[in-house]
Amino acid sequence: MSQTKILLVDDEVEFASALAERLQMRDYDVKTAANGLEAMALFHNSPPDVVILDLRIPGMDGLEILKNIKIFDPTIEVLILTGHGDVESVAEGMKSGAFEYIMKPIDIAELTSKIDMAMKKRIGSRD
Amino acid sequence: MTDNFEQELRFLQMRFIGKILAGFTHESKNYLAIIKESAGLIEDMIKLGKSGEAASSQYLEITHSIEEQIEKSAGLFKYLNRFSHRMDTKLSGFNCNEALEELIALVNRFANQKRIELAKDFQQDLPQIYGNPSMIQFLIFSFLEENIITLDQNSRIIIKTETANGSIMIGIIPEGNLIEVEREKVEFPYETYDIVLKQLGGALTRLKGALKFTFPLKVSDI
Repeated sequence: MSQTKILLVDDEVEFASALAERLQMRDYDVKTAANGLEAMALFHNSPPDVVILDLRIPGMDGLEILKNIKIFDPTIEVLILTGHGDVESVAEGMKSGAFEYIMKPIDIAELTSKIDMAMKKRIGSRD
Repeated sequence: MTDNFEQELRFLQMRFIGKILAGFTHESKNYLAIIKESAGLIEDMIKLGKSGEAASSQYLEITHSIEEQIEKSAGLFKYLNRFSHRMDTKLSGFNCNEALEELIALVNRFANQKRIELAKDFQQDLPQIYGNPSMIQFLIFSFLEENIITLDQNSRIIIKTETANGSIMIGIIPEGNLIEVEREKVEFPYETYDIVLKQLGGALTRLKGALKFTFPLKVSDI
């Protein structure tokens, strides 16, 4: 199986870079974006397999990004990353087609397991 | 005061404290998430046997980042602690700049979400006053929140303090474009705020969107 391409969208730059490095060590191909515009540019330039998306990034509604991703390619899976128990926006995200959500601080094993399941679903949807 | 007013005020104050706590816990979780990922990264590097000059420099960088997050957390904890203790007594001697500074630190998250800058323009030698700091924080928060909701992205809100004519003046000056807000979705109970302001002996004037609160200066000897 080829490397899973991940786009990690989070405005906490230190968090994103540490997590990206940890995922790279686990053989994932990871790109990071700190805001919505950067995310959409990277996304169109090199579409990922899985997007890890913080819904509360400054300057752009994370739900809008999620909806745009699903319009562009519904097989791209999105994992919502949330720093707090914002049940409403997580529920809204799941309704808009997110694959799963994960709470911060994250457990790396739980995250990689969800990424792998999301990738499996993407491959299944494309076949 | 009517029962309705008391109930409305209690609801608004609970909502205010809830929002402060939600912002605080969210921010704290972010700091903890960075610390956890940084520690995890060190663990991964050790497991991979990363060593040498480049690795040492990365280890140092990561530990500095952890220290920085701990300092930021401690700063936020200090503000929340001070904020909480202001409710210990109804009236006390306090410094208005300090009360506003902690409020700004605790609501910054909401402003950042919309890329709105909260800028301080404090008179440095503001005298210590005697009054109800929690109520003042509640009022200022309510009007700051209204501005954060109604202002467009990349705006600025200046929070200003000064003494004038035997009073302390707190100004909320929005700079930026206004956006359409569905008023039925956002409540601004001005009548309740007005009664609270009168109870505090204060007054409010509006000039081209800027708000000027004035509170009679009762200099504290505490």
